[in-house]
Amino acid sequence: MIRSGSINLRKIDCLDVLSILMLFVFAAIFIFPFYICIVTSIKTPLETATSVLALPSEIQWSNFSQAIKISKFSTAFINSSITTFCSVFLIVVCSSMAGYVISRNYKQKFFTLIEMLYLGAMMLPFQIIMIPVYRMMKNMNMINSLWGLILLLVGTSMPYSTFLYIGFVKTVPKELEEAAIVDGYGPYRLYWQIVFPLLKPITSTVAALHVLWMWNEFTISLIMLQKDSVRTIPIQQYFFFGQYTVNLNLGFASAVLSMIPVIIFFLASQKYIIEGVSAGAVKG
Amino acid sequence: MKHSLVKGSKYIFLIPSLFFFGISMFIPFLTGLNVAFTNWDGLSKSYDYVGFNNFRLMLSDKNLIVPIRNTIYYALFVTVFNNIITLFLAVMLNRKFRGRNILRTIFFVPTCLSAVLAAFTWGFIYREVFQNVFGANSPLGSMKYVIPGIAGITLWNSCGINLVIYLAALANVPNELNEAALIDGAGRWRKFWNITVPMIMPAFSVCVTLTLTYSLREFAMPMAATSGGGPARASETMAIYIYNNLYAFNRAGYGQAVAFAFMIFLIFIGYSVSRIFRSREVEL
Repeated sequence: MIRSGSINLRKIDCLDVLSILMLFVFAAIFIFPFYICIVTSIKTPLETATSVLALPSEIQWSNFSQAIKISKFSTAFINSSITTFCSVFLIVVCSSMAGYVISRNYKQKFFTLIEMLYLGAMMLPFQIIMIPVYRMMKNMNMINSLWGLILLLVGTSMPYSTFLYIGFVKTVPKELEEAAIVDGYGPYRLYWQIVFPLLKPITSTVAALHVLWMWNEFTISLIMLQKDSVRTIPIQQYFFFGQYTVNLNLGFASAVLSMIPVIIFFLASQKYIIEGVSAGAVKG
Repeated sequence: MKHSLVKGSKYIFLIPSLFFFGISMFIPFLTGLNVAFTNWDGLSKSYDYVGFNNFRLMLSDKNLIVPIRNTIYYALFVTVFNNIITLFLAVMLNRKFRGRNILRTIFFVPTCLSAVLAAFTWGFIYREVFQNVFGANSPLGSMKYVIPGIAGITLWNSCGINLVIYLAALANVPNELNEAALIDGAGRWRKFWNITVPMIMPAFSVCVTLTLTYSLREFAMPMAATSGGGPARASETMAIYIYNNLYAFNRAGYGQAVAFAFMIFLIFIGYSVSRIFRSREVEL
Protein backbone atom coordinates (compact mmCIF):
# COMPACT_ATOMS: atom_id res chain seq x y z
CA MET A 1 0.00 0.00 0.00
CA ILE A 2 1.27 3.43 -0.80
CA ARG A 3 0.70 6.13 1.71
CA SER A 4 1.72 9.68 1.00
CA GLY A 5 4.45 9.36 3.58
CA SER A 6 6.02 6.37 1.90
CA ILE A 7 8.27 8.59 -0.20
CA ASN A 8 10.21 9.42 2.92
CA LEU A 9 10.78 5.79 3.76
CA ARG A 10 13.77 5.28 1.48
CA LYS A 11 17.20 5.01 2.96
CA ILE A 12 18.88 8.16 4.16
CA ASP A 13 22.06 8.70 2.18
CA CYS A 14 24.94 11.13 1.92
CA LEU A 15 23.01 13.70 -0.10
CA ASP A 16 20.25 13.82 2.51
CA VAL A 17 22.72 14.45 5.29
CA LEU A 18 24.47 17.09 3.24
CA SER A 19 21.29 18.93 2.35
CA ILE A 20 19.97 18.85 5.91
CA LEU A 21 23.32 20.22 7.03
CA MET A 22 23.05 22.98 4.39
CA LEU A 23 19.55 23.80 5.59
CA PHE A 24 20.82 24.35 9.12
CA VAL A 25 23.80 26.37 7.91
CA PHE A 26 21.37 28.64 6.04
CA ALA A 27 19.12 28.88 9.08
CA ALA A 28 22.11 29.84 11.21
CA ILE A 29 23.18 32.51 8.70
CA PHE A 30 19.65 33.89 8.67
CA ILE A 31 19.38 34.07 12.46
CA PHE A 32 22.91 35.29 13.12
CA PRO A 33 22.23 39.00 12.35
CA PHE A 34 19.42 39.01 14.91
CA TYR A 35 21.82 37.63 17.50
CA ILE A 36 24.32 40.36 16.64
CA CYS A 37 21.62 43.06 16.86
CA ILE A 38 20.35 41.97 20.25
CA VAL A 39 23.73 41.26 21.80
CA THR A 40 25.28 44.50 20.59
CA SER A 41 22.29 46.54 21.72
CA ILE A 42 22.82 45.49 25.34
CA LYS A 43 26.62 45.88 25.51
CA THR A 44 28.95 48.75 26.28
CA PRO A 45 31.23 50.06 23.51
CA LEU A 46 34.19 48.60 25.37
CA GLU A 47 32.65 45.14 25.45
CA THR A 48 31.87 45.38 21.74
CA ALA A 49 35.45 46.34 21.02
CA THR A 50 36.84 43.42 23.03
CA SER A 51 34.63 40.81 21.47
CA VAL A 52 31.83 41.27 18.97
CA LEU A 53 30.28 37.87 19.53
CA ALA A 54 30.39 37.52 23.32
CA LEU A 55 27.44 38.11 25.58
CA PRO A 56 27.67 41.14 27.87
CA SER A 57 28.61 40.79 31.51
CA GLU A 58 25.69 42.99 32.40
CA ILE A 59 22.70 44.05 30.30
CA GLN A 60 22.86 47.76 29.48
CA TRP A 61 19.19 48.69 29.53
CA SER A 62 20.14 52.34 29.45
CA ASN A 63 21.23 51.91 25.82
CA PHE A 64 17.58 51.79 24.86
CA SER A 65 16.50 54.93 26.69
CA GLN A 66 19.54 56.80 25.34
CA ALA A 67 18.88 55.52 21.81
CA ILE A 68 15.29 56.68 21.99
CA LYS A 69 16.51 60.13 22.91
CA ILE A 70 19.32 60.68 20.42
CA SER A 71 17.79 58.91 17.44
CA LYS A 72 14.54 60.90 17.99
CA PHE A 73 12.85 57.55 18.01
CA SER A 74 9.48 58.61 19.44
CA THR A 75 8.90 61.27 16.78
CA ALA A 76 9.91 58.88 14.03
CA PHE A 77 7.72 56.16 15.49
CA ILE A 78 4.69 58.46 15.57
CA ASN A 79 5.38 59.64 12.00
CA SER A 80 5.72 56.06 10.80
CA SER A 81 2.53 55.05 12.55
CA ILE A 82 0.51 57.93 11.09
CA THR A 83 1.89 57.34 7.60
CA THR A 84 1.37 53.59 7.69
CA PHE A 85 -2.09 53.69 9.21
CA CYS A 86 -3.48 56.41 6.94
CA SER A 87 -1.99 55.07 3.74
CA VAL A 88 -3.06 51.48 4.36
CA PHE A 89 -6.57 52.66 5.23
CA LEU A 90 -6.81 54.70 2.02
CA ILE A 91 -5.25 51.92 -0.06
CA VAL A 92 -7.83 49.41 1.16
CA VAL A 93 -10.81 51.74 0.67
CA CYS A 94 -9.81 53.05 -2.77
CA SER A 95 -8.43 49.90 -4.32
CA SER A 96 -11.22 47.63 -3.08
CA MET A 97 -13.82 49.91 -4.67
CA ALA A 98 -11.86 50.18 -7.89
CA GLY A 99 -11.05 46.48 -8.00
CA TYR A 100 -14.70 45.66 -7.48
CA VAL A 101 -16.09 47.75 -10.34
CA ILE A 102 -13.25 46.85 -12.70
CA SER A 103 -13.79 43.16 -12.05
CA ARG A 104 -17.59 43.35 -12.38
CA ASN A 105 -17.45 45.39 -15.60
CA TYR A 106 -14.50 43.70 -17.22
CA LYS A 107 -16.26 43.46 -20.57
CA GLN A 108 -16.50 47.22 -20.92
CA LYS A 109 -13.72 49.00 -22.75
CA PHE A 110 -13.30 51.79 -20.22
CA PHE A 111 -12.70 49.42 -17.32
CA THR A 112 -10.37 47.20 -19.34
CA LEU A 113 -8.44 50.33 -20.21
CA ILE A 114 -8.02 51.24 -16.53
CA GLU A 115 -6.92 47.70 -15.77
CA MET A 116 -4.32 47.85 -18.54
CA LEU A 117 -3.16 51.24 -17.25
CA TYR A 118 -2.64 49.80 -13.77
CA LEU A 119 -0.90 46.71 -15.11
CA GLY A 120 1.46 48.90 -17.09
CA ALA A 121 2.09 51.16 -14.10
CA MET A 122 3.16 48.15 -12.05
CA MET A 123 6.14 47.77 -14.36
CA LEU A 124 7.32 51.37 -13.95
CA PRO A 125 10.45 51.98 -11.92
CA PHE A 126 9.92 54.74 -9.37
CA GLN A 127 12.85 56.69 -10.84
CA ILE A 128 10.78 57.53 -13.89
CA ILE A 129 8.45 59.70 -11.79
CA MET A 130 10.89 60.70 -9.06
CA ILE A 131 12.00 63.98 -10.59
CA PRO A 132 8.50 65.19 -11.64
CA VAL A 133 7.01 64.10 -8.32
CA TYR A 134 9.64 66.05 -6.44
CA ARG A 135 8.96 69.11 -8.55
CA MET A 136 5.21 68.81 -8.17
CA MET A 137 5.41 68.37 -4.41
CA LYS A 138 7.76 71.32 -4.15
CA ASN A 139 5.36 73.51 -6.10
CA MET A 140 2.49 72.42 -3.88
CA ASN A 141 4.60 73.04 -0.76
CA MET A 142 4.15 69.43 0.26
CA ILE A 143 7.81 68.47 0.72
CA ASN A 144 8.24 67.67 4.41
CA SER A 145 4.55 66.99 4.77
CA LEU A 146 3.31 63.59 5.88
CA TRP A 147 0.11 64.17 3.91
CA GLY A 148 2.10 64.64 0.74
CA LEU A 149 3.94 61.43 1.48
CA ILE A 150 0.71 59.54 2.17
CA LEU A 151 -0.75 60.84 -1.09
CA LEU A 152 2.23 59.46 -3.01
CA LEU A 153 2.33 56.16 -1.16
CA VAL A 154 -1.35 55.54 -1.80
CA GLY A 155 -1.07 56.52 -5.46
CA THR A 156 1.96 54.38 -6.19
CA SER A 157 0.42 51.40 -4.34
CA MET A 158 -2.85 51.65 -6.25
CA PRO A 159 -1.94 49.47 -9.26
CA TYR A 160 -0.82 46.42 -7.29
CA SER A 161 -3.48 46.52 -4.58
CA THR A 162 -6.26 47.06 -7.13
CA PHE A 163 -4.85 44.19 -9.13
CA LEU A 164 -5.08 41.91 -6.09
CA TYR A 165 -8.72 42.94 -5.55
CA ILE A 166 -9.64 42.42 -9.22
CA GLY A 167 -8.41 38.86 -9.01
CA PHE A 168 -10.34 38.14 -5.85
CA VAL A 169 -13.66 39.72 -6.84
CA LYS A 170 -13.79 37.36 -9.83
CA THR A 171 -14.19 34.48 -7.37
CA VAL A 172 -17.04 36.15 -5.42
CA PRO A 173 -20.50 35.02 -6.65
CA LYS A 174 -22.92 37.74 -7.78
CA GLU A 175 -26.11 36.23 -6.33
CA LEU A 176 -25.95 38.11 -3.04
CA GLU A 177 -25.57 41.42 -4.83
CA GLU A 178 -28.48 40.64 -7.14
CA ALA A 179 -30.66 39.73 -4.19
CA ALA A 180 -29.70 42.95 -2.44
CA ILE A 181 -30.64 44.99 -5.52
CA VAL A 182 -34.05 43.33 -5.52
CA ASP A 183 -34.33 44.29 -1.86
CA GLY A 184 -33.78 47.90 -2.88
CA TYR A 185 -30.21 48.46 -1.73
CA GLY A 186 -28.53 51.52 -3.26
CA PRO A 187 -25.05 51.14 -4.72
CA TYR A 188 -23.16 52.48 -1.70
CA ARG A 189 -25.10 50.50 0.90
CA LEU A 190 -24.81 47.46 -1.34
CA TYR A 191 -21.07 47.85 -1.53
CA TRP A 192 -20.25 48.58 2.11
CA GLN A 193 -22.83 46.26 3.69
CA ILE A 194 -22.83 43.30 1.31
CA VAL A 195 -19.76 43.26 -0.93
CA PHE A 196 -16.99 44.65 1.23
CA PRO A 197 -17.50 42.11 4.04
CA LEU A 198 -17.21 39.34 1.43
CA LEU A 199 -13.80 40.69 0.42
CA LYS A 200 -12.39 40.24 3.90
CA PRO A 201 -9.79 37.56 2.98
CA ILE A 202 -8.14 39.69 0.32
CA THR A 203 -8.53 42.83 2.45
CA SER A 204 -6.52 41.15 5.23
CA THR A 205 -3.84 40.24 2.73
CA VAL A 206 -3.67 43.66 1.08
CA ALA A 207 -3.63 45.40 4.47
CA ALA A 208 -1.00 43.11 5.99
CA LEU A 209 1.35 43.38 3.00
CA HIS A 210 1.01 47.13 2.77
CA VAL A 211 1.52 47.67 6.49
CA LEU A 212 4.94 46.05 6.05
CA TRP A 213 5.76 47.90 2.85
CA MET A 214 4.61 51.31 4.05
CA TRP A 215 6.38 50.88 7.39
CA ASN A 216 9.65 50.10 5.57
CA GLU A 217 9.22 52.46 2.63
CA PHE A 218 12.50 54.19 1.78
CA THR A 219 12.75 55.70 -1.69
CA ILE A 220 9.73 58.01 -1.73
CA SER A 221 10.17 58.96 1.91
CA LEU A 222 13.79 59.86 1.28
CA ILE A 223 13.00 62.48 -1.33
CA MET A 224 9.94 63.76 0.56
CA LEU A 225 11.07 64.00 4.17
CA GLN A 226 14.01 66.31 4.63
CA LYS A 227 13.31 67.69 8.09
CA ASP A 228 13.88 65.75 11.32
CA SER A 229 10.41 66.46 12.62
CA VAL A 230 8.62 64.59 9.81
CA ARG A 231 10.99 61.69 9.21
CA THR A 232 9.71 58.15 9.44
CA ILE A 233 11.76 55.39 11.11
CA PRO A 234 13.67 54.17 8.01
CA ILE A 235 14.65 57.71 7.02
CA GLN A 236 15.50 58.78 10.55
CA GLN A 237 17.64 55.68 10.94
CA TYR A 238 19.26 56.20 7.56
CA PHE A 239 20.62 59.56 8.72
CA PHE A 240 21.25 58.38 12.27
CA PHE A 241 23.26 55.32 11.19
CA GLY A 242 25.08 57.40 8.62
CA GLN A 243 26.70 59.66 11.22
CA TYR A 244 30.31 58.66 11.72
CA THR A 245 30.19 59.56 15.38
CA VAL A 246 27.30 57.26 16.11
CA ASN A 247 27.75 54.95 19.07
CA LEU A 248 27.15 51.52 17.55
CA ASN A 249 25.58 50.09 20.67
CA LEU A 250 22.99 52.85 20.63
CA GLY A 251 22.53 52.30 16.91
CA PHE A 252 21.69 48.67 17.53
CA ALA A 253 19.45 49.57 20.45
CA SER A 254 17.49 51.75 18.04
CA ALA A 255 17.54 48.96 15.44
CA VAL A 256 16.18 46.41 17.90
CA LEU A 257 13.45 48.79 19.04
CA SER A 258 12.30 49.28 15.47
CA MET A 259 12.40 45.56 14.72
CA ILE A 260 10.13 44.60 17.59
CA PRO A 261 6.84 46.03 16.25
CA VAL A 262 7.48 44.69 12.72
CA ILE A 263 8.29 41.20 13.91
CA ILE A 264 5.29 41.10 16.24
CA PHE A 265 3.11 42.29 13.39
CA PHE A 266 4.55 39.69 11.05
CA LEU A 267 4.05 36.83 13.48
CA ALA A 268 0.46 37.90 14.06
CA SER A 269 -0.42 38.29 10.38
CA GLN A 270 1.96 35.74 8.86
CA LYS A 271 -0.89 33.78 7.30
CA TYR A 272 -2.22 36.74 5.29
CA ILE A 273 1.21 37.94 4.27
CA ILE A 274 2.25 34.54 2.97
CA GLU A 275 -1.07 34.08 1.19
CA GLY A 276 -0.72 37.50 -0.37
CA VAL A 277 2.79 36.89 -1.64
CA SER A 278 1.90 33.58 -3.25
CA ALA A 279 -1.47 34.81 -4.60
CA GLY A 280 0.02 37.88 -6.23
CA ALA A 281 2.75 35.84 -7.83
CA VAL A 282 0.54 33.11 -9.20
CA LYS A 283 -1.67 35.59 -10.98
CA GLY A 284 1.12 37.98 -11.91
CA MET B 1 -30.25 40.42 -14.51
CA LYS B 2 -29.11 43.97 -14.68
CA HIS B 3 -25.70 45.17 -13.60
CA SER B 4 -24.99 45.00 -9.93
CA LEU B 5 -24.32 48.69 -9.81
CA VAL B 6 -26.53 51.39 -11.20
CA LYS B 7 -25.05 53.22 -14.17
CA GLY B 8 -22.90 56.15 -13.16
CA SER B 9 -22.18 54.99 -9.66
CA LYS B 10 -19.79 52.42 -11.05
CA TYR B 11 -17.66 55.26 -12.38
CA ILE B 12 -17.87 57.03 -9.03
CA PHE B 13 -16.35 53.96 -7.39
CA LEU B 14 -13.26 54.44 -9.53
CA ILE B 15 -12.74 58.09 -8.67
CA PRO B 16 -10.81 57.77 -5.37
CA SER B 17 -8.42 55.25 -6.86
CA LEU B 18 -7.91 57.24 -10.05
CA PHE B 19 -7.43 60.44 -8.06
CA PHE B 20 -4.47 59.06 -6.09
CA PHE B 21 -3.05 57.20 -9.07
CA GLY B 22 -3.44 60.21 -11.33
CA ILE B 23 -1.72 62.65 -8.99
CA SER B 24 1.16 60.46 -8.00
CA MET B 25 1.81 58.41 -11.12
CA PHE B 26 -0.04 59.38 -14.26
CA ILE B 27 0.51 63.15 -14.23
CA PRO B 28 4.16 62.84 -13.09
CA PHE B 29 4.73 60.36 -15.89
CA LEU B 30 3.46 62.86 -18.46
CA THR B 31 5.32 65.84 -16.99
CA GLY B 32 8.36 63.58 -16.87
CA LEU B 33 8.15 63.13 -20.61
CA ASN B 34 8.16 66.89 -20.89
CA VAL B 35 11.12 67.35 -18.50
CA ALA B 36 13.19 64.86 -20.48
CA PHE B 37 13.29 67.30 -23.37
CA THR B 38 14.46 70.27 -21.30
CA ASN B 39 17.65 71.39 -19.62
CA TRP B 40 15.93 71.94 -16.28
CA ASP B 41 18.40 71.89 -13.37
CA GLY B 42 15.93 70.75 -10.73
CA LEU B 43 15.96 74.05 -8.83
CA SER B 44 15.25 77.10 -10.95
CA LYS B 45 11.84 78.15 -12.20
CA SER B 46 12.78 78.44 -15.85
CA TYR B 47 14.18 76.00 -18.37
CA ASP B 48 14.60 75.66 -22.11
CA TYR B 49 13.53 72.92 -24.45
CA VAL B 50 16.52 71.18 -25.94
CA GLY B 51 14.85 68.66 -28.20
CA PHE B 52 16.54 65.28 -28.29
CA ASN B 53 19.75 66.73 -26.90
CA ASN B 54 19.54 64.81 -23.60
CA PHE B 55 19.16 61.54 -25.42
CA ARG B 56 22.07 62.37 -27.73
CA LEU B 57 24.13 63.29 -24.68
CA MET B 58 23.39 59.92 -23.15
CA LEU B 59 25.07 58.07 -26.03
CA SER B 60 28.35 59.83 -25.35
CA ASP B 61 28.08 59.91 -21.54
CA LYS B 62 31.06 57.97 -20.19
CA ASN B 63 29.69 58.26 -16.65
CA LEU B 64 26.76 56.12 -17.68
CA ILE B 65 28.84 53.00 -18.27
CA VAL B 66 29.65 52.47 -14.60
CA PRO B 67 26.03 52.39 -13.33
CA ILE B 68 24.92 50.23 -16.26
CA ARG B 69 27.63 47.68 -15.51
CA ASN B 70 26.94 47.78 -11.75
CA THR B 71 23.19 47.40 -12.20
CA ILE B 72 23.49 44.40 -14.49
CA TYR B 73 26.16 42.73 -12.35
CA TYR B 74 24.12 43.26 -9.18
CA ALA B 75 20.84 42.11 -10.74
CA LEU B 76 22.34 38.94 -12.21
CA PHE B 77 24.09 38.13 -8.96
CA VAL B 78 20.93 38.58 -6.89
CA THR B 79 18.68 36.77 -9.38
CA VAL B 80 20.90 33.73 -9.76
CA PHE B 81 21.70 33.24 -6.08
CA ASN B 82 18.25 34.16 -4.84
CA ASN B 83 16.60 31.54 -7.02
CA ILE B 84 19.16 28.82 -6.32
CA ILE B 85 18.95 29.37 -2.56
CA THR B 86 15.18 29.72 -2.34
CA LEU B 87 14.57 26.73 -4.61
CA PHE B 88 16.86 24.63 -2.45
CA LEU B 89 15.20 25.83 0.75
CA ALA B 90 11.73 25.28 -0.68
CA VAL B 91 12.51 21.71 -1.75
CA MET B 92 13.94 21.05 1.70
CA LEU B 93 10.98 22.60 3.49
CA ASN B 94 8.43 20.86 1.29
CA ARG B 95 8.23 17.79 3.52
CA LYS B 96 6.47 17.26 6.76
CA PHE B 97 8.76 17.40 9.74
CA ARG B 98 8.69 19.08 13.09
CA GLY B 99 10.17 22.55 13.02
CA ARG B 100 9.22 23.14 9.39
CA ASN B 101 7.09 26.19 10.18
CA ILE B 102 9.70 27.63 12.49
CA LEU B 103 12.32 27.31 9.75
CA ARG B 104 10.01 28.94 7.23
CA THR B 105 9.45 31.82 9.63
CA ILE B 106 13.20 32.16 10.19
CA PHE B 107 13.78 32.52 6.46
CA PHE B 108 10.93 34.98 6.04
CA VAL B 109 11.40 37.32 9.01
CA PRO B 110 14.39 39.23 7.55
CA THR B 111 12.17 40.11 4.57
CA CYS B 112 10.00 42.17 6.93
CA LEU B 113 12.85 44.50 7.87
CA SER B 114 13.65 47.71 6.05
CA ALA B 115 16.66 47.91 3.76
CA VAL B 116 18.14 50.50 6.11
CA LEU B 117 18.07 48.09 9.06
CA ALA B 118 19.41 45.21 6.99
CA ALA B 119 22.23 47.34 5.62
CA PHE B 120 23.18 48.68 9.06
CA THR B 121 23.24 45.23 10.64
CA TRP B 122 25.21 43.59 7.84
CA GLY B 123 27.52 46.58 7.54
CA PHE B 124 28.49 45.92 11.15
CA ILE B 125 28.79 42.16 10.60
CA TYR B 126 30.99 42.67 7.52
CA ARG B 127 33.17 45.19 9.33
CA GLU B 128 33.51 43.75 12.82
CA VAL B 129 32.70 40.06 12.65
CA PHE B 130 34.52 39.41 9.38
CA GLN B 131 37.51 41.26 10.75
CA ASN B 132 37.60 39.52 14.13
CA VAL B 133 36.55 36.04 13.14
CA PHE B 134 37.88 35.57 9.62
CA GLY B 135 40.42 38.37 9.52
CA ALA B 136 38.82 39.62 6.31
CA ASN B 137 38.02 43.18 5.38
CA SER B 138 34.48 44.34 4.76
CA PRO B 139 33.43 43.73 1.14
CA LEU B 140 31.56 47.04 1.32
CA GLY B 141 34.85 48.91 1.35
CA SER B 142 36.33 47.12 -1.63
CA MET B 143 35.83 48.15 -5.25
CA LYS B 144 35.85 44.53 -6.28
CA TYR B 145 33.54 42.94 -3.70
CA VAL B 146 31.13 45.73 -2.87
CA ILE B 147 28.40 44.47 -5.21
CA PRO B 148 28.49 40.84 -4.02
CA GLY B 149 28.51 42.31 -0.50
CA ILE B 150 25.38 44.36 -1.11
CA ALA B 151 23.79 41.45 -2.95
CA GLY B 152 24.41 39.30 0.11
CA ILE B 153 22.44 41.73 2.26
CA THR B 154 19.66 41.82 -0.32
CA LEU B 155 19.49 38.03 -0.34
CA TRP B 156 19.05 37.95 3.44
CA ASN B 157 16.51 40.74 3.20
CA SER B 158 14.38 39.29 0.38
CA CYS B 159 14.72 35.50 0.08
CA GLY B 160 11.45 35.03 1.95
CA ILE B 161 9.33 36.19 -0.98
CA ASN B 162 10.55 33.65 -3.52
CA LEU B 163 10.68 30.94 -0.89
CA VAL B 164 6.97 31.38 -0.22
CA ILE B 165 6.17 31.36 -3.94
CA TYR B 166 8.18 28.17 -4.52
CA LEU B 167 6.64 26.49 -1.49
CA ALA B 168 3.15 27.28 -2.79
CA ALA B 169 4.09 25.85 -6.18
CA LEU B 170 5.61 22.69 -4.71
CA ALA B 171 2.54 22.14 -2.55
CA ASN B 172 0.51 22.06 -5.78
CA VAL B 173 2.50 19.23 -7.34
CA PRO B 174 0.09 16.30 -7.19
CA ASN B 175 1.34 13.52 -4.97
CA GLU B 176 0.24 10.87 -7.50
CA LEU B 177 2.96 12.05 -9.87
CA ASN B 178 5.67 11.47 -7.29
CA GLU B 179 4.23 8.12 -6.34
CA ALA B 180 3.98 7.02 -9.95
CA ALA B 181 7.61 7.97 -10.47
CA LEU B 182 8.56 6.06 -7.36
CA ILE B 183 6.84 2.94 -8.65
CA ASP B 184 8.56 3.34 -12.00
CA GLY B 185 11.80 3.38 -10.09
CA ALA B 186 12.83 6.90 -11.05
CA GLY B 187 15.80 8.19 -9.10
CA ARG B 188 15.76 11.40 -7.14
CA TRP B 189 17.34 13.56 -9.82
CA ARG B 190 15.15 12.18 -12.56
CA LYS B 191 12.13 12.82 -10.41
CA PHE B 192 13.31 16.36 -9.75
CA TRP B 193 14.04 17.17 -13.41
CA ASN B 194 11.08 15.35 -14.93
CA ILE B 195 8.35 16.12 -12.41
CA THR B 196 9.22 18.91 -10.00
CA VAL B 197 10.92 21.24 -12.47
CA PRO B 198 8.21 21.21 -15.16
CA MET B 199 5.49 21.52 -12.51
CA ILE B 200 7.02 24.57 -10.85
CA MET B 201 8.07 26.22 -14.11
CA PRO B 202 5.35 28.90 -13.81
CA ALA B 203 6.58 29.81 -10.31
CA PHE B 204 10.16 29.75 -11.56
CA SER B 205 9.34 32.15 -14.35
CA VAL B 206 7.50 34.50 -11.96
CA CYS B 207 10.34 34.43 -9.44
CA VAL B 208 13.11 35.01 -11.96
CA THR B 209 11.21 37.81 -13.68
CA LEU B 210 10.30 39.47 -10.39
CA THR B 211 13.77 39.21 -8.87
CA LEU B 212 15.40 40.43 -12.06
CA THR B 213 13.16 43.45 -12.61
CA TYR B 214 13.21 44.39 -8.92
CA SER B 215 16.95 44.13 -8.57
CA LEU B 216 17.54 46.07 -11.78
CA ARG B 217 15.71 48.98 -10.11
CA GLU B 218 17.52 48.64 -6.80
CA PHE B 219 17.95 51.91 -5.00
CA ALA B 220 17.50 51.53 -1.25
CA MET B 221 20.04 48.81 -0.49
CA PRO B 222 23.19 50.24 -2.11
CA MET B 223 22.11 53.68 -0.88
CA ALA B 224 21.87 52.47 2.71
CA ALA B 225 24.80 50.04 2.63
CA THR B 226 27.41 52.36 1.15
CA SER B 227 25.81 55.78 1.63
CA GLY B 228 25.28 56.48 -2.02
CA GLY B 229 27.06 54.02 -4.28
CA GLY B 230 30.62 54.01 -2.97
CA PRO B 231 33.48 53.26 -2.79
CA ALA B 232 34.18 55.53 -5.75
CA ARG B 233 30.93 54.73 -7.59
CA ALA B 234 31.66 51.00 -7.48
CA SER B 235 28.11 50.24 -6.31
CA GLU B 236 26.27 53.10 -8.03
CA THR B 237 23.19 51.64 -9.70
CA MET B 238 21.09 53.23 -12.44
CA ALA B 239 18.49 54.26 -9.89
CA ILE B 240 21.15 56.03 -7.81
CA TYR B 241 22.64 57.66 -10.91
CA ILE B 242 19.22 59.09 -11.81
CA TYR B 243 18.75 60.25 -8.21
CA ASN B 244 22.17 61.92 -8.22
CA ASN B 245 21.36 63.78 -11.42
CA LEU B 246 18.55 65.47 -9.57
CA TYR B 247 20.04 66.00 -6.13
CA ALA B 248 23.78 66.20 -6.64
CA PHE B 249 24.48 67.23 -10.23
CA ASN B 250 21.44 69.50 -10.78
CA ARG B 251 20.74 67.95 -14.15
CA ALA B 252 17.10 66.98 -13.72
CA GLY B 253 16.31 67.15 -17.44
CA TYR B 254 19.14 64.82 -18.32
CA GLY B 255 18.32 62.50 -15.40
CA GLN B 256 14.76 62.25 -16.62
CA ALA B 257 15.91 61.30 -20.10
CA VAL B 258 18.11 58.60 -18.58
CA ALA B 259 15.12 57.41 -16.55
CA PHE B 260 13.09 56.98 -19.74
CA ALA B 261 15.81 55.03 -21.46
CA PHE B 262 16.08 52.92 -18.29
CA MET B 263 12.34 52.28 -18.31
CA ILE B 264 12.41 51.08 -21.91
CA PHE B 265 15.32 48.80 -21.03
CA LEU B 266 13.38 47.36 -18.05
CA ILE B 267 10.24 46.76 -20.10
CA PHE B 268 12.33 45.06 -22.77
CA ILE B 269 14.06 42.80 -20.21
CA GLY B 270 10.82 41.98 -18.37
CA TYR B 271 9.04 41.22 -21.62
CA SER B 272 11.74 39.04 -23.11
CA VAL B 273 12.39 37.09 -19.91
CA SER B 274 8.74 36.25 -19.46
CA ARG B 275 8.51 35.36 -23.17
CA ILE B 276 11.39 32.92 -22.83
CA PHE B 277 9.77 31.26 -19.84
CA ARG B 278 6.24 31.21 -21.14
CA SER B 279 7.27 29.11 -24.12
CA ARG B 280 8.64 26.46 -21.75
CA GLU B 281 5.73 26.15 -19.38
CA VAL B 282 3.64 22.99 -19.47
CA GLU B 283 -0.09 22.80 -19.09
CA LEU B 284 -1.51 20.11 -16.88
